[in-house]
Amino acid sequence: MMANEILQSVSTGKRFKLDPRTKMLMVITISTVIIGGGNGGLMNIAKPLLAAVPLLMLITSRRSRAAIAYTAIYILCFAGERLLVPITSGFLNFLIVACCGMLTRFLPGIMMGYFLVTTTTVSEFTAAMERMHMPRQITIPLSVMFRFFPTVGEEMAAINDAMKMRGITFANPMRMLEYRLVPMLMCSVKIGEELSAAALTRGLGAPVKRTNICEVGFHIQDMFAILICIFGFAAFFSSRIIS
Amino acid sequence: MNNKLQAKDLINVGIFSAIYLVVLMAVAMLGYIPVFIPLLSVLVPIVGGIPFMLFLTKVKKFGMVWIMAIIMGIVMLILGMGVWVLPIGIVTGLICELILKSGNYASSKKSVLVSGVFSMSIFGNYLPMFIARDSYFETMRSGYGNEYVNALTNYMPEWSWLLLLAACFISGIAGGLLGKAVLKKHFKKAGIA
Amino acid sequence: MIELRQVSFRYEQARQENGLRDVNLTIGDGEVILLCGESGCGKTTLTRLVNGLIPHFWGGDLNGEVLIDGVKINEMPLYETAKIVGSVFQNPRSQFFNVDTDSEIAFGCENQGLPEEEIRKRVETNVKQYSLEPLMGRSIFELSGGEKQKIACASVSACDPDILVLDEPTANLDARATAALRRMLLLWKAQGKTIIIAEHRLYFLRDIADRIVYMNQGRIETVFTHENFISLGAEKLENMGLRPLSLNELQYHIKQPVQTNENLVFSDFRFSYKNGKPVLDIDKLNISEGASVAVIGHNGAGKSTFARCLCGLERKCGGKLLGQANVKGRKQRLKCCFMVMQDVNHQLFTESVLDEVLLSMEEENEEQAEEILKGLDLQELKEQHPMALSGGQKQRVAIASAIASKREIILFDEPTSGLDLRHMREVAANLWQLNAMGKTVFVVTHDPEFILSCCTYVVHMEQGYVIAQYPLDTNGTARMLSFFQDTADKPADLEGMVMM
Repeated sequence: MMANEILQSVSTGKRFKLDPRTKMLMVITISTVIIGGGNGGLMNIAKPLLAAVPLLMLITSRRSRAAIAYTAIYILCFAGERLLVPITSGFLNFLIVACCGMLTRFLPGIMMGYFLVTTTTVSEFTAAMERMHMPRQITIPLSVMFRFFPTVGEEMAAINDAMKMRGITFANPMRMLEYRLVPMLMCSVKIGEELSAAALTRGLGAPVKRTNICEVGFHIQDMFAILICIFGFAAFFSSRIIS
Repeated sequence: MNNKLQAKDLINVGIFSAIYLVVLMAVAMLGYIPVFIPLLSVLVPIVGGIPFMLFLTKVKKFGMVWIMAIIMGIVMLILGMGVWVLPIGIVTGLICELILKSGNYASSKKSVLVSGVFSMSIFGNYLPMFIARDSYFETMRSGYGNEYVNALTNYMPEWSWLLLLAACFISGIAGGLLGKAVLKKHFKKAGIA
Repeated sequence: MIELRQVSFRYEQARQENGLRDVNLTIGDGEVILLCGESGCGKTTLTRLVNGLIPHFWGGDLNGEVLIDGVKINEMPLYETAKIVGSVFQNPRSQFFNVDTDSEIAFGCENQGLPEEEIRKRVETNVKQYSLEPLMGRSIFELSGGEKQKIACASVSACDPDILVLDEPTANLDARATAALRRMLLLWKAQGKTIIIAEHRLYFLRDIADRIVYMNQGRIETVFTHENFISLGAEKLENMGLRPLSLNELQYHIKQPVQTNENLVFSDFRFSYKNGKPVLDIDKLNISEGASVAVIGHNGAGKSTFARCLCGLERKCGGKLLGQANVKGRKQRLKCCFMVMQDVNHQLFTESVLDEVLLSMEEENEEQAEEILKGLDLQELKEQHPMALSGGQKQRVAIASAIASKREIILFDEPTSGLDLRHMREVAANLWQLNAMGKTVFVVTHDPEFILSCCTYVVHMEQGYVIAQYPLDTNGTARMLSFFQDTADKPADLEGMVMM
């Protein structure tokens, strides 16, 4: 509905679940290898393989719209580069090269990130972080951030409504910024105060290790995915050593 | 009041990280038009300066800004924007802490400076572009020849990364000054700063 | 046993709440204590002493001792106090830490580091005990206010504390949700828990509280036993600034509406969410111009949606308003309606009260603005930042900006949530003032006393339809009161089945 969350609040599908840590590794692998990697040798296999992984993930998790968009944009850039580069020149040429180049390099990582974000719940993510022994100085602010993100959205929507209602329009960009941000920040501080009080009176901050009832863990599909990542990195480093 | 970070401080970090992220994403919507992408390095620090300066008024202990930079890095990572914001954030975050500590968390000039340094972690989003640049131009050479590629590199010279990094820093300072003005006009009067 | 011995407290930062002076109170195990009094009397402060938020979260000057079972809790760290004292707060929107219901109920136990199996067992027990199955596995953002409060209560009860502290928990709830909370309190009382509850709404605690502590300006003025309090009578309660104990005891005069011949006709107000669920479906609604209309109905009936559509805020809602001269579509309605929102903080933008009023004016006129401020008793505050004011003052600033906008239709969304008697009467007076200026006023509200103080007409909504509309004459008043009475006293076994 209205809540525009970063991660999901509740599980959206239980087909074959990957551990959030595995998904993170995949995002890191794909973005690093494809963006920064050279060519030749193993990379000729690794790069297309890693680019196809998000597509596979999106299809298996029934996110057909995203899968189609990914494929479409990728093909567009590919074609654009082949067809448009020879016929343009100057700055326009550079622009096309830059855009197509950037998109083909960045898109796989971003799509993998999209997959992570739309198939992982906040509880799973926090549980995974705690399993990785991330200190609570990181896990607590991180969970608060995920929880507060939609609230900021709600506040801004309400403030937008108020501005519409009062007829405050796009007079001066500085003013608009002021009117948008100041009430939102005031409300956020107040909500933050109440949130803290409610969390502290339920024992947050005790010097014991927090437990977490959310279930995360590695299964056979994670092993498979991790192997692909290892291969990707092997290709990456070997091409670096060669060149 | 002891110097260890309490749950209340950690919650504050989380809240302002959420706000900063919303600002970042709202401005990044402009990035759909590729020409505007470098502009993000200017707009995000300026607009983000307002919540950031408010955040700094709540920072009285070591570690809060550092954690915020790290969290931003983690979020960028899971969104698929690359791994670089995290290590850059770790470095810039630490520098911010040292600056704040030297001013005893009470100097407003140092706060503005910290706004500049913090904004440089945004550059982490651009770094892959520059890293990719070289290998990308290499692949183009084999396809289109040296002359063509040399002409291209003129549009994005070797030192352009420095320009972008400087833009982040300077815009961060501007954002800090803007935030300071808003603090005075609103938040201090209202009693929440 | 809880003991407060010679406790005095002053807040570090001068806030809206007063501190406490010379408070002495002993609360036995299993007792249910109601703290009541006007706004600012110190009841919230007292609850904060018991759950440890003072001095660990709210700093200030604390003298005296607060002891639980002989242990000084002001020297105990908050996370230790949290094991024996559970707290439920006023605002459902800001209490939850997690995004999904299951994790939220487990939250307190997780913080204590209890083993996972144990926590799962406790979550299951609590879900069963309070019939929360339909709420499990859902995002808290999707729940209604009453449902959120239920989760908050379950979360606190999962830690099994002996003492429960509640600070105005029904301030943002409607009658049904209040009844649900009442049932939870009865369950807790039966379990032998000690309960301290600070409240303005007294009627739902009528037969639950063992003792009633009346506070005034930071002191405990009187402590009543249950029988003594009930026998006080409506007039004495009013003098103490308290809301009545039962709807039967409401005193009121029938208001005479301004006589006009003009009619406002609202037609084709329909609205549904993206997933197709229709939320509003009004064919035609006739209201006389200059009326003061109370919009009532259960949560989810579509009242707030109606107000927003009327105001022109929902783009997808067509709807036309036929006035004397013309037909107003959505965009024109935006210009002729002004809404005072439930959270006034969303609509205050400037750095001084005067500027806020000037902002509403097409052409800025300082003299006029000052006149308006004077009429609402705000001229002393004209240079203050709106956000530094109290809730009631902020609301008056919003009303001032409504008057300055010169718009003919003014809407209020739940203006009296959590207000004490005196402030509620002030808002009613302001509303009546607007009416006297010839404005047509719509109020979405759950507050029958408030309706009687300033409304002349009732529109009753249910599931998106207007199922009844009537003037507030003798008959109408009885009908309106029976709506609120109905939900307040609904038999226990039917409630809880009804999801909001």
